[in-house]
Amino acid sequence: MYLLLNNMKKKKMSFSGSITSLLGKLHLRREEVVIKVNGKIVPDDSRISGSETVEIIKVIFGG
Amino acid sequence: MVFPKSPKSSVCSKCHAPAAVFLAYAPTHLCGHHFMEMFEKRFRKTIRELGLIKKNSTVALALSGGKDSTVLLHLLSDLQRSLPFKLVAITIDEGIANYRSKTLIVAKRECKKLRVPLRVVSFKKESGKKLDEILRADKSLLPCSVCGVFRRHLLNKSAKEAGANLLAIGHNLDDMAQTVLMNLMRNEPLRLVRFGEPLADDEKFVPRIRPLMRAPEKEVAIYAMLKGFKVTFTECPYAHSALRQEIRNHLNELEEKYPGTKIRIFNSFVTMDGWMRKGIGNGFAGQKFKRSHCKTCGEPSSAEECAYCGIISKL
Repeated sequence: MYLLLNNMKKKKMSFSGSITSLLGKLHLRREEVVIKVNGKIVPDDSRISGSETVEIIKVIFGG
Repeated sequence: MVFPKSPKSSVCSKCHAPAAVFLAYAPTHLCGHHFMEMFEKRFRKTIRELGLIKKNSTVALALSGGKDSTVLLHLLSDLQRSLPFKLVAITIDEGIANYRSKTLIVAKRECKKLRVPLRVVSFKKESGKKLDEILRADKSLLPCSVCGVFRRHLLNKSAKEAGANLLAIGHNLDDMAQTVLMNLMRNEPLRLVRFGEPLADDEKFVPRIRPLMRAPEKEVAIYAMLKGFKVTFTECPYAHSALRQEIRNHLNELEEKYPGTKIRIFNSFVTMDGWMRKGIGNGFAGQKFKRSHCKTCGEPSSAEECAYCGIISKL
């Protein structure tokens, strides 16, 4: 899959499984991010097969 | 919380369209359309149940241009179709380099789009110094404390100048739960009670309303994205120094493990608020509520001189 984290450069990553596991792997809190798969917002309990473009947008910050 | 294994894509519990959101505390899946419908219904229910806005009021919205206040701007503007009231926006420019200028653009653009009058008030113009300059001059000052004191002071003052009888703040459920915990940890029961509604009528104080108080912060962000609002998700450069940041992290971890934690903390506060208010007349936990005004600026203050004037005098 292709991973795009906070508008940074897209990178290729080998992963299939739940979004929860992916976030755990990236040390991100589910409550603080919104996930888009192939450009569409998806529920946190979705699964990724490995061929998608996954965008993780951090939406919760201080201030 | 470990979710049960779910199919690759879930469906909306209302219409069976592909889901966009999973509300773990409900628990339910919703498509974009039904999520936005639920979000707007909850907003209107909060206004209605708590009687937050009366017909023909003048509401001043504290608009930073971040996701929360921008969403609230749109919801309030939309509410004007069914409830006649006047809406004005106030943006406080603290003078934080590479932060506020970005959200100021959003605030100006959205107000222009919705034809809501906007008033921009800057720390620099009001106090002679930007927040960055104040903090550089005195390293012992805590950024969030100074900023909070200045913002509250200037918002109240500007709301009065705009003829507003209500000040709408974009605080969401996460902000509410964090504030409850912070006040408990600091053993500041009076501050906790004042956070609900004003303890006494004061013509110099514009009562605050928080119509998004039941909306989790992540849901506010999703709503803004689904509606196509062009908001930026940026972090205040001073946020790391705050206790709030630590509480936010812990609360988000707890919410993941035990969905509904934030709303339960908030609901507990609502229950306790009623009990605590009854105790105030007789003095509460050793603290007696005193209504007074600052000897320098005349704004509401619990001390002889308000915190704003105290800081200004040392600049």
